Amino acid sequence: MFPIYLGVIPFAVAYAVTARAAGLSVLETCLMSVLVFAGASQFSAAGAFASGAAGLTIVFTTFLLNVRHLLYGLSLGREIKLSNSERVVSAYFLTDEAYGVVMASNERSFAFLLGCELSLFVSWNVFTLVGALAGSIIAEPTKLGVDFIFPLSFTALIVPLLKSRNDVIVAGMSGVMALIFSKILPGGFSIFATGVIGSLLGAWLTRSEPPTQPNLEDMKREVA
Amino acid sequence: MSLRLEILLVFLGMCAVTFGSRYAGLMLRAPLPPFWLRFLRFVPISVFAALIIPAIPGDQGEGVMRVLTSLLAAFVAWRTRVLWLTVLVGFGTFWILKFFGIHA
Repeated sequence: MFPIYLGVIPFAVAYAVTARAAGLSVLETCLMSVLVFAGASQFSAAGAFASGAAGLTIVFTTFLLNVRHLLYGLSLGREIKLSNSERVVSAYFLTDEAYGVVMASNERSFAFLLGCELSLFVSWNVFTLVGALAGSIIAEPTKLGVDFIFPLSFTALIVPLLKSRNDVIVAGMSGVMALIFSKILPGGFSIFATGVIGSLLGAWLTRSEPPTQPNLEDMKREVA
Repeated sequence: MSLRLEILLVFLGMCAVTFGSRYAGLMLRAPLPPFWLRFLRFVPISVFAALIIPAIPGDQGEGVMRVLTSLLAAFVAWRTRVLWLTVLVGFGTFWILKFFGIHA
């Protein structure tokens, strides 16, 4: 379980520094971690705020980035019996990592699920604050190249996901599409459009394959 | 310490769609059709690629350097699968190049 926190800490700090560089206040940076609690979408929202994207496109991109949680919920809902209120609480704090830890263990209880979720929530928010305060010290973040942390972090996230030829094709096509769309579509919307078309392409390319469960090893590694 | 209303509204929207995705999975009884299960599996791959590629060059005229160090970082990610090491090697190399006055 410990390595998961090691993954959360630099990601939380990097998110917070990026958010501060994008012009969000310390309070706003921390509030996003409390309200959204989803690393990848917070990171991309910070980048979108920096480029002056419209609020609605940020929300759409967040939806697309987080709709994968549907898969975890579907899987967990079959494994653990939850009351209605337990479902609401565990849904709020559900992350890739919590799902990965629960599925990799033999425990199947609400208490264990919530324990995993809350311990990640606390470390995510503590290190968001640490990063936000560190971000205040940096005078000219753009000159230092702080914006480069963003693509580097996502490179670390995407590489382990590329396991088949189709994965690489979808990633490559999406990269090209995003480059083109970012020139012709309003900021942020290009990510959403690319995500929809790229995922449709992937689903179509794998039409002859049987459906698979989310890969447990990925879930444990991924920090998103 | 400031909190702008328009920013708060964006956060609340993000909160709603994120919670909705998390809750819908725990709620749903009927399984999703196979096509949409496969669609969801490709979402992170596609979106992450869309976030990475346009963000690499930056706007400080250091595009070549940043593309090359990104490739190095991708190699580190592939061999180690460790996030902090990937960022450290990529950012560190970028900084060392900057330190030696390379600007490309």
